[in-house]
Amino acid sequence: MTTTASSTSSEPTMNPNKVNTLKFLLLLLALAVLPASAWAKTLVLTGATVHPVSSESIDDATVVIEEGLIAAIGTDLEWSADAEVIDLAGLHLFPGFVHPATQLGLVEISSVAGTVDTSEMGSINAALRAEVAINHDSYILPNTIAGGVLTAHIMPDGGLIQGTSAVVNLDGWSWQEMVIRTPVGMHLVYPAAAVDDENNEDLKTINRVLDLARHHHAASLAAAEGDAAPPPRNDQLEALAPLLNGDQPLYLRANRYDVMEAALDWADEQGFENIVLMANSDVQYLADRLARDDVPVILRNVYALPTRRWEPYDMAFVAPARLAEAGVRFAIADSGGGMDIANARNLPFQAGSAAAHGLDKADALKSVTLWPAEILGVGDQLGSIEVGKRASLFAATGDALEPMSRIERVWIDGEEYDLSRDHGRDLYPRYRERNATMQKR
Amino acid sequence: MIRQFTLVVLVALLALFSGLSQAQWAPDIEAWNSPQPEQAEAVVFRNATVWTADEAGILENVDVTVRDGQIDAIGEDLRAPRNAIEIDATGHHITPGIIDAHSHAAILGGVNEASRISTADVRIRDVIDPESINIYRQLAGGVTTINLLHGSANAIGGQMAVVKLRWGDEPDDLVIDSAKPGIKFALGENPKQSNWSNDTPRYPRTRQGVAQIIREKFQKAADYQAAMDDAPSGRGARDTVLPRPNHELAAIAEILSGVRDIHSHAYRADEMLALMELAEDFGVTIGTFQHVLEGYKIAPQMAEHGVGGSSFIDWYAFKYEARDAIAFNPALMHQSGVLTGLHSDNPELARRMNLEAAKAVRYGQVDEHEALKMITLYPAAQLRIDDRTGSLAEGKDADLVVWNGHPLSVYSRVDQTWVDGRRYFDREADRRMHEALEKERQELIAQVLDAGDEGDSDASEPAAAESDEPDTPGMRSFAAHLTSGMPQHTHLHGFTAHLVGYRPSELSHDDYCLFHFE
Repeated sequence: MTTTASSTSSEPTMNPNKVNTLKFLLLLLALAVLPASAWAKTLVLTGATVHPVSSESIDDATVVIEEGLIAAIGTDLEWSADAEVIDLAGLHLFPGFVHPATQLGLVEISSVAGTVDTSEMGSINAALRAEVAINHDSYILPNTIAGGVLTAHIMPDGGLIQGTSAVVNLDGWSWQEMVIRTPVGMHLVYPAAAVDDENNEDLKTINRVLDLARHHHAASLAAAEGDAAPPPRNDQLEALAPLLNGDQPLYLRANRYDVMEAALDWADEQGFENIVLMANSDVQYLADRLARDDVPVILRNVYALPTRRWEPYDMAFVAPARLAEAGVRFAIADSGGGMDIANARNLPFQAGSAAAHGLDKADALKSVTLWPAEILGVGDQLGSIEVGKRASLFAATGDALEPMSRIERVWIDGEEYDLSRDHGRDLYPRYRERNATMQKR
Repeated sequence: MIRQFTLVVLVALLALFSGLSQAQWAPDIEAWNSPQPEQAEAVVFRNATVWTADEAGILENVDVTVRDGQIDAIGEDLRAPRNAIEIDATGHHITPGIIDAHSHAAILGGVNEASRISTADVRIRDVIDPESINIYRQLAGGVTTINLLHGSANAIGGQMAVVKLRWGDEPDDLVIDSAKPGIKFALGENPKQSNWSNDTPRYPRTRQGVAQIIREKFQKAADYQAAMDDAPSGRGARDTVLPRPNHELAAIAEILSGVRDIHSHAYRADEMLALMELAEDFGVTIGTFQHVLEGYKIAPQMAEHGVGGSSFIDWYAFKYEARDAIAFNPALMHQSGVLTGLHSDNPELARRMNLEAAKAVRYGQVDEHEALKMITLYPAAQLRIDDRTGSLAEGKDADLVVWNGHPLSVYSRVDQTWVDGRRYFDREADRRMHEALEKERQELIAQVLDAGDEGDSDASEPAAAESDEPDTPGMRSFAAHLTSGMPQHTHLHGFTAHLVGYRPSELSHDDYCLFHFE
C-alpha cells in the first residue's frame, strides 16, 4: 500500500540516485546558507502504525521525510543507505494536532499581569497582529508540544474588532520563524446586546468603522489612480481593507444561539461571504443553517456545563455530533483563554469525549487535525500525513485521543523535537531519582 | 386453589408493575420535584468487569449483588437474592463511585468567609444546597461522594462537610457523619492576598506571616483548651468565672487533640515543609495537602510525616506558585508512598474525573487500577470514610458506577450511578426526562401562540396602541423570553457567556475560584 502525491509524477524516494542528487544539492545549500540544518539527511520512520487521518490507518508502515516534508508513505518503500532510519515498532504515528483557537505564547503566568498580552483595551483594534507578541521561549510551548499539539491558531482578543490572527508552529527561534500563515482572519465580536436593540452602541460603532474603512479604501484606490489626493493614513482603517475586499475571512465570535443568528444575519447584510463562526455549544441550535450556508465553525469547549440550567448534562458533549450529523464543517477547540491556554495540550481529549457522546471516532480525530487545518487555510500543509505536507507528527503508545496514551517522540517540519524541554519530563526523572535515593537512606 | 392462583397473578402483576416503574423512573430537572430513587431490596448486576479498588483487583465476567443498600457479594454466577432487580451489565465495567476530596459544587457563593485570618468557627454544613444541579451532573459523571471545603482566602478556614450525593435530600442527610471532622487551611498566595485588590489588607502578606499566625493560633487554642480543662466543674464551678466559650479556638483545639484533620491548600514545597514542621511541634499529623502542586519535590518528607496528597493532575501556570506544577506529581507522590488522590475543585471537571485518573497512567505510568484508586479508595481513605465507601467489597455501601466501557477510556460514558443502592443517575431515565421536558416546552409554546391568535381575533378588545410589541409573539421573541430571566454574565475570554436559570449557589466562576479564593 503506497500513497503518493497526485501532483508529482515521479517518486523521488523510490529512486536512490535521485535522492542522492537531491541530497547533494541540499548539502551544497546547507553549506552555503544553512549550516545547522537538520535536513541534511533523509529521515525514515519505520514500523509504526501510521494514522494519516485523510485515509485508512496502515500497520507497520514507513514514512519518508525529506527537507521537512513528507516524501512518501507506504509499506514497501526503499530509501538510500545513508538515510537516518528510526524504528517505531509498537508505536502509532499521528499528524500533529492543530489547535484552532488559542492564545498560547501570549501569556506565561495568568495572574502575573506583566506576563499577560492577551487582551488589548479599546473597541477597535483592527490593526493588532496577535503573533508579534508570541514569546517563542514561553515555557508553556514545550509542554504543549509534548502533548502532540504542534501547530496553533493564535488569536487576538479585546474590544469589538480585535485584530488579525496567525497559524504558527509551536517551535521556533522567533515568532517570525514560527509563523506559517498570517493574517489568517480578522476577529470580530458580535455584541450580544444588539440582538434586541437595533440602536446598540457597540454595533453602531462596528458599522461606522466598517463604513469609514470602505470610504477610506475607496479614497485610496482613487488616489492610486491619480484621481484624488490620498486620504490621511489610518492604521485601523487600512487594516480592514483585506476583510472588506473579501481577501480575508471574518472570524465572527458569538456565544448564544440568538446572538449567533443575529451575527450571521448582520454578516450577510455587510456582504461578508468568507466567515468562520467561533462559538460555544449553543451553535448546535443553528446546525442546519450553518450546513446550508457552508459556514465553518470553531467550536469552543466540549468540556463545558450547559448554558441553561434545564439543558441536558451532556449538552456540550453532544454538540460536535450534532454538527457532524447536520453536515457542518467544524473544528474542536477549548475556550482558548484562562486555564485552557496552559492546558492546550488537553485539546485531543475534548475530541475524544465528543466521540464518547456520538461523534464518529475518525471524525473526532479529524476535528483536531485535518479539519482545523482546512478551516484555517493550511490544509495543504498540515493536518494529515500526506505526501507533500509538512512533516509535523508524533509517535504515541496508542490512540492519540486517549489520555492513557503517552507521546514518545515528536517531529516538527522533519526535525525531531527534544521532549525533555517539557517541564514535566525535565523534572520527573530528576525528582524520581532524588526521592528514591532519599528514601533508601 | 383459586386463592393461590389469585396470589400468583397478584405477585406477577406486582412484579410487572415494579419492573415497569423501575424502567420508567425518571428524575425531574428540579431536585424538589424528583422522587428519591427507591432503595431496592436487592439488585444483581450480571456479567460485568468489576474494578474493585480493593485487593481483589479487576474481576472479569462477575456478578455484583446488592442488598439493602450494601454490597452483598461479588463473584461468578451468584444466586440472585429474593426480589432482586436484575441488570445485565455484559460488556460494561463497574467501579466504585468516585470520591472527590476537594469540591465546592453545592456551596458556591458560600465558599469563603474571608473576613478574618482564621474562621475555624465557620461550618460548611450550614450552607449546603442539596438541590444544586451540580450534584445531578456530577452523578452523571460517576461521582458519589464529595468533600465540600471552605475556600482558601484565609490561613485557617472553615470546617468541611463530607457529603454523599443524595440529590434533593435534606442538607443534613447528605452529610456523612462518620467521616472524620476536618478543617480547611490555606498557604501561599491566597491567604497572603496576592491576587486580588483589597482595600483593607490584613496580616499576613508573606508566607512567613502565614506560618507565624498558624503557630500563634495553635498556642492560643492550646491555652484555651487547658483553661477549659482546668476549669472546675460541678459545685466547684459556682464561685468561679468560667472561661468564655470560643468556637474558633475550640475547633483549633480539636486539631491539636487529633479529633479534627487539617486539609490544607498548598502549592509550594517550602510552605508545606513549614506547616509539617509546625504541626509536628504540636504533635499533629496533617490530613492532606490539597492541590499539593510541588508535593513531588518533598514526597519522602510527606510520606514520613504521614500526610496525604490530594492533587490536580495537570493544572499549572495560573499563578506564580503553580509554575512548577507538573502532571507527574501524583505518580511521584505515589511512588514515594504518599496516600495520593486526585480532586476536581471545579464542578465541570468533576464530571470527568475518570479521565484525570487516566492521565496518571499517561504521566508516570501509574498502573490503571492504582490510577482508579486515586479517585476512589485513596480519597476515601484521606477523608477516613474508606470503611464505608471507595471500594467494592462485601458490606460496603453500594456506591457504584456502571460504565459502557473501560472506565479510564475517553470513549466511555457513565450509564448508571448508584448511591446506597439507589439509582440516582440513569442515562436512559435522563433521556426520558429531557424528552418529557421538551414535550412540555412545545406545549407551552403552542399555548402561548394560541393565546396570541385569540388576542388578535378579538375585535372588541381595544388595540394595544401604545405597545411596541409585535402583533403576534413570534417564536424568536418567545424563545428570547424563555431564555431571559436574570442572566448571569461571566466574562469568558473576550465575549460574554450567558448562564441562564441558575441559582447563585450553582454558578462557578473559574476566575473567582482559581485566581482569588479557592
